[in-house]
Amino acid sequence: MSSTISVTNLKKHFKVYKKQPGLWGSIQSLWHREYETVKAVDDISFEIAEGEIVGFIGMNGAGKTTTLKMLSGLLFPTSGETEVLGYNPWERKPVFQKQFSLVMGQKNQLWWDLPAVETFYLNKAIYEIPDAQFEKTLSKLVKLLDVEDIIQIQVRKLSLGQRMKCELIAALLHNPKVLFLDEPTIGLDVVMQKTLRDFIKAYNKEFGATIILTSHYMDDVKELCERAIVIDHGKKVFDGKLQDIIDTYARNKILSLTFSKPISKKELTEFGTLKEHSDANLLYTATLLVPRKKATAVASKLLAKFPVVDVTIEEPPIEAIIREVFSKQQQKSAKK
Amino acid sequence: MLNLIKYVVLLKMCWQDGLVYRMSVFMWRVRRFLAALMSLTIWVTIYQSSSSGAAHFGYAQADMISYIFLISILQNLVMATAIQGLAQDVYTGAISNQLLKPISLTAYLAMQELADKLKNISAMVFEFIALFLLFKPELLVPSSSTLVIFVLWALGAVILNFCISLLFGSLGFWSPETWGPRFLFYTLMQFAAGQLFPLDVLPQLFQKVMYATPLPYLSFVQTQLFLEKLSPDEVVRHSYTLLFWIGILGLAARTIWKKGLRDYDAAGR
Repeated sequence: MSSTISVTNLKKHFKVYKKQPGLWGSIQSLWHREYETVKAVDDISFEIAEGEIVGFIGMNGAGKTTTLKMLSGLLFPTSGETEVLGYNPWERKPVFQKQFSLVMGQKNQLWWDLPAVETFYLNKAIYEIPDAQFEKTLSKLVKLLDVEDIIQIQVRKLSLGQRMKCELIAALLHNPKVLFLDEPTIGLDVVMQKTLRDFIKAYNKEFGATIILTSHYMDDVKELCERAIVIDHGKKVFDGKLQDIIDTYARNKILSLTFSKPISKKELTEFGTLKEHSDANLLYTATLLVPRKKATAVASKLLAKFPVVDVTIEEPPIEAIIREVFSKQQQKSAKK
Repeated sequence: MLNLIKYVVLLKMCWQDGLVYRMSVFMWRVRRFLAALMSLTIWVTIYQSSSSGAAHFGYAQADMISYIFLISILQNLVMATAIQGLAQDVYTGAISNQLLKPISLTAYLAMQELADKLKNISAMVFEFIALFLLFKPELLVPSSSTLVIFVLWALGAVILNFCISLLFGSLGFWSPETWGPRFLFYTLMQFAAGQLFPLDVLPQLFQKVMYATPLPYLSFVQTQLFLEKLSPDEVVRHSYTLLFWIGILGLAARTIWKKGLRDYDAAGR
């Protein structure tokens, strides 16, 4: 399958002014300033095929948004190459710009003091969307996101969730083939997050759009992305199936047990690391971390030895696994 | 055809946006009206306090009132207001939205500016009718050829000021400290564009220094032309000089923006 997005040895370095703390630092800065180079993106490469939804995972300042900004032509790379839909994004050719959208959860393209529908009509003109296509897409998106009643209201009067829905409509009116979503669900309640996730999934299915998604909510990534790229300090530390991250970095599985009578902590620690133990309200529960490969065998032994009422074997939460990925990376960097 | 539609829609949007805050629009116009009113009042007072009919700096009272009246109209048309905060928009990353869309950023800013000017013109008509009735300037409509040149020069001044605004806007690529230089420039401009008094009342040396800058071409020479104070040679020379400044500053703005966009960090976006 041909690549829709291709990134080769991409770097973006920023020169940042380092101010000394306090008033004296401010006075000193009048004649002497120290700068340091921050490697926001440091030599990353990847390919994304048409129709893929890829999750960009990383801590704050890892380089996710900077990468998206380079892919959309906002930033000029320090070095390396990017290609999206066969175009160099930096050239900002209108023919390319008509085929992608960048949605940022924390900023908006909607005109703050006017109703959202005005921005929709402006985008229609700017993207040169034919009347029939515009009417069809707009009515579909408005219905799907259930915003019929709010698109005539001044944007500044809308709630964050309502605004985000209108942002998505403005970004999708021209049916982009590539979608960069930077924290699209930030600040939204769980119901709204789910609505947006379902919508993104449906859009990907209907238009075969290629999507890169960054999010701090692992539910977004888990539900939408089969593939994840993990970035730390500007470097790519993992690129593959989400399941592979779990297999590579999750050393343990979680055994959640419910007993019919009390079992001592000492007896349980023989089987693994005891994370939780409770016998409150005559409910005897315990949570054990056991090595992945031994999980089934340990569960059998526990069932044989204790009066177990219920047992579940689970993968650790993806958040914990990602933390594991980052801590391993930090250990590696410290050794160097 | 479609290409033109996008600019018309954008122009309408900018206009709508500019009219949202009615009080701000009203207060802005009051400020501009008062500036012109004060300037005219000061000159009337100066002439009336001296011996009757005396000329000051080579200008009779009627000439001076006509000059101030005309330059006030021109400055209302020429001076940028919509993109004065451009450097801030660059520094805070607010221009990212425009950079992502299939529309030229320069055209986008020009539409913002045009919408602002149209808004100002519609208010100005009433203000200057009031000032006309109050001060009764003796304005003679110049010959049709002079009028055509005047319109072209006024248009040139608008473009020249747009280029200067773009240059100041580009400061935002490298520094958040854009207010200081802009303030200094606008203070200098009020003086050197002839807003307070005609530049030809200054000593020759000052005039020479002023004419080495583009500032007199922002409204002073246009006013002189309308009042038919320029010889045919001066008209030709000023036409070339105005074109020269538009060319140089336009090219400088283009080059610096090209370089600035490479350094743009789209902060906070």
